[in-house]
Amino acid sequence: MSIQLKLEDVETYIGQFHILQGISLEVRKGEVTVLLGRNGAGKTTTLRTIMGLNPSTKGTITFNNEEIQSLPTYSVAQKGIGYVPEDQGIFSELTVEENLKVAMKNESDRTKERLDYILNLFPDLKKFWKKPGGLLSGGQKQMLSIARAYVNDNELLLIDEPSKGLAPIVVEKVMESIIEMKDKTTIVLVEQNFMMASTIGDQFYIIDDGQTVQNGAMEVLKEDDEMRRKYLGIA
Amino acid sequence: MRKGGEEELDVFFNLTLNGLATGMLIFLLAAGLTLIFGLMDVLNFAHGGLFAWGAYSGTWLYATTGSFIIGILGAVVTGLILGLITERVIIKPVYGNHVQQILITLGLMLVLSELLKVVWGPNQLSATAPDFLKGSFELGGIIIIKYRLFIIAVGFLVFVTVQYVLKNTKIGLVVRAGVMNKEMVQALGINIKKVFMLVFMVGSGMAALGGVLLGPYSGVIHAEMGMEFAILAFIVVVIGGMGSFPGSILAAILVGLSGSFMAYYVPDLALAANMLLMAVVLIFRPQGLFGWKG
Amino acid sequence: MRKVKSIFVQRKNIVYTFIAILLILFPFMNDSRSMMILFTQVFIFAIFAMSYDLLLGFTGIVSFGHAMFFGIGAYAVGIFMKQFEPTLPYFLLAVVITILITAIVSYVVGLLTLRLKSHFYAMLTLAFASLFLVLAEKWRTLTHGNDGFTFRTPELFRDRLDFYLICLVSMIVVFLLLNRFTNSPLGKVLQAIRENEQRTESLGYSVIQYKIIASVVSGVLAGFAGILYSVSLRFVNTSVFTMDITLDALLMTIIGGVGTLIGAIIGAGLIEFAHHWLTELAKVHWIFERWIIFFGIIYILVVMFFPRGIVGTVRNIKMKSKKRVIEKSEQQKAAG
Repeated sequence: MSIQLKLEDVETYIGQFHILQGISLEVRKGEVTVLLGRNGAGKTTTLRTIMGLNPSTKGTITFNNEEIQSLPTYSVAQKGIGYVPEDQGIFSELTVEENLKVAMKNESDRTKERLDYILNLFPDLKKFWKKPGGLLSGGQKQMLSIARAYVNDNELLLIDEPSKGLAPIVVEKVMESIIEMKDKTTIVLVEQNFMMASTIGDQFYIIDDGQTVQNGAMEVLKEDDEMRRKYLGIA
Repeated sequence: MRKGGEEELDVFFNLTLNGLATGMLIFLLAAGLTLIFGLMDVLNFAHGGLFAWGAYSGTWLYATTGSFIIGILGAVVTGLILGLITERVIIKPVYGNHVQQILITLGLMLVLSELLKVVWGPNQLSATAPDFLKGSFELGGIIIIKYRLFIIAVGFLVFVTVQYVLKNTKIGLVVRAGVMNKEMVQALGINIKKVFMLVFMVGSGMAALGGVLLGPYSGVIHAEMGMEFAILAFIVVVIGGMGSFPGSILAAILVGLSGSFMAYYVPDLALAANMLLMAVVLIFRPQGLFGWKG
Repeated sequence: MRKVKSIFVQRKNIVYTFIAILLILFPFMNDSRSMMILFTQVFIFAIFAMSYDLLLGFTGIVSFGHAMFFGIGAYAVGIFMKQFEPTLPYFLLAVVITILITAIVSYVVGLLTLRLKSHFYAMLTLAFASLFLVLAEKWRTLTHGNDGFTFRTPELFRDRLDFYLICLVSMIVVFLLLNRFTNSPLGKVLQAIRENEQRTESLGYSVIQYKIIASVVSGVLAGFAGILYSVSLRFVNTSVFTMDITLDALLMTIIGGVGTLIGAIIGAGLIEFAHHWLTELAKVHWIFERWIIFFGIIYILVVMFFPRGIVGTVRNIKMKSKKRVIEKSEQQKAAG
């Protein structure tokens, strides 16, 4: 399988803080790659750096064989990367419909097809079509945010902790839909919930103190109690 | 007795019309301020300068060509062009630095109003309404001055148009989304700086329109009126909520009416009343009466 | 290394002292009356600009209504001298009243807006200053409206030379006081706020209180400058409350160099002298009547490209050469 996204020795400063100190990873097309690590290890910053929201100071980021590390955020997004931030980034006073419309590049048949597909996956969104985004429940916001990143014909989705703050039953629903979407798009997932990560992930990377320290197939990590204890603090 | 009551009614209606007209002029200034602020956190202290430039260029064009319509269009075009230059040359280099932004726009205000005096001389210019808007008519026993009604109509038309664009077009949607979360808008593949440039231009155009409309309303125009109206517009922006477009028209009407009635009954306290209103809003609801952004 | 640094500090102090002595001797060497008056104006505006620098340069607060404090002082002394007797006790009473009013106004304005984004303070001060302007225009029994009024001053201030020296000494005292103040632990907190407000807050400092202290001190000093201003003219009118006065303070501190105090003094000298000479040039060409436009443009360029002004930029250059000197001496030491 071909490599869709590649980070080589990426370093990022936020203000004077050296947050990313050497992130290297490869994301293969059609797979779900999970970023794991403790709180504050730099997982969210890694996603933000890919999007150009916290620009890197060193290293290269390659997407579909094109270097994107110095592009502004909107160009990165236009290349075909969708972003689902930790706080979901819902436009709270816009309706569900409007939230999706902001994201849609055009009204082509292809976009409509993707919209139909995602609405079938998340029927709740159709139900609250005219409701302001701010009034949705946590799970619905998460679905809207994922849907918004998806409708734009993106080849790669960066999803930051979709399970955060959601009830177990909702987590399951979100998880199912991500598994369902795997066929259509490549996914990079930041996830603390190891159950979820191990269920849907194909590959994993462990980030510690701003560096990628371990990686491999998810199956390996599932078996390796020692590694999990060392970097994730779970058995 | 009856006559006295009628007179009172007449006064009441005229003060209301007066307040509405002034409110609309302030709205034209405040609408741009609030959108520019909401979208990019830029508070443009030179906005009053654009207002004054609109007044001078429009009045001058009207006097030279004899066409009021050309005067108005000329003012709006002047506003759009000056807005474009301001955004590119003055605002863009200092994006993200609040203190620098505030300082630099005030510097521009100074330069704009001095330049005005260089081009048109330091004295005030007189401005009159075109014939078809001169005078007044009677409606149900109340005398209505045509030009005031004209200002109210134009202001309302601008409000409806902008509101329609904000609600029903893609660009309007992007502007509203940008006010709420500009990072996310960019992450969806939209170049917000281009959008901002457009908003800045439109906002400047509206300010210039307000300026040229003020001319025949007050009879004379002078360079200082830019700052005078800008202060009222700032009060409106605070009361209406920074970044709230509907808030700006409601607050502008409020400020216009209170100014008009206070000026009639207790003239010395007109500005003080609006300041007091602003202070109260700042203490109890710093996000504004109709806004939500702090 | 410390030794090298202290030599520089010492040299700076010697230069300052030398200039101060020159200024004291100046009126005895030069009997041009207009020069003396011009210098007096420079000293007064230097005090005003330094008070502004405390806010903008040391705390990072932008005020667009500094004229109101200046005007309060100017009117307070004018009204007392006119309504009562032009004697020293009444003058001192006017000073006390000025301190009280400026302190209260700056406290209230600060309390209202300093907890919000910097835009609010700039906006509210602008609006408040316009309120004072309207007040001065409308309260005719006290202020005589737009035209203003003349008044007599206490004996002490009548001689131009004495007043020159009083203003000079006031400026030096204010400079020394503010220098002390900004280098005190409190001043360090203010500068920390300017650099990073959130961090200062998270270190446990109540940022809002420190900001209010800065704005009160600054307001009181601006009121003091206003007192000297109207005494120097023996006249006061509404112009003391106008935007032009605030713009003067802005141009002086920004062009001179924010956060340096000495920059405010240099800026005051620059603007006042430019005003003097360029207004004279207006007879040659009318464009010089609009001299302020040049400063407006310079101001914009400074904000954009040299945000630290003349003094800050010169210091930067000197710092680099100083570093070179230190490096050299250390290299020599290492070599020897």
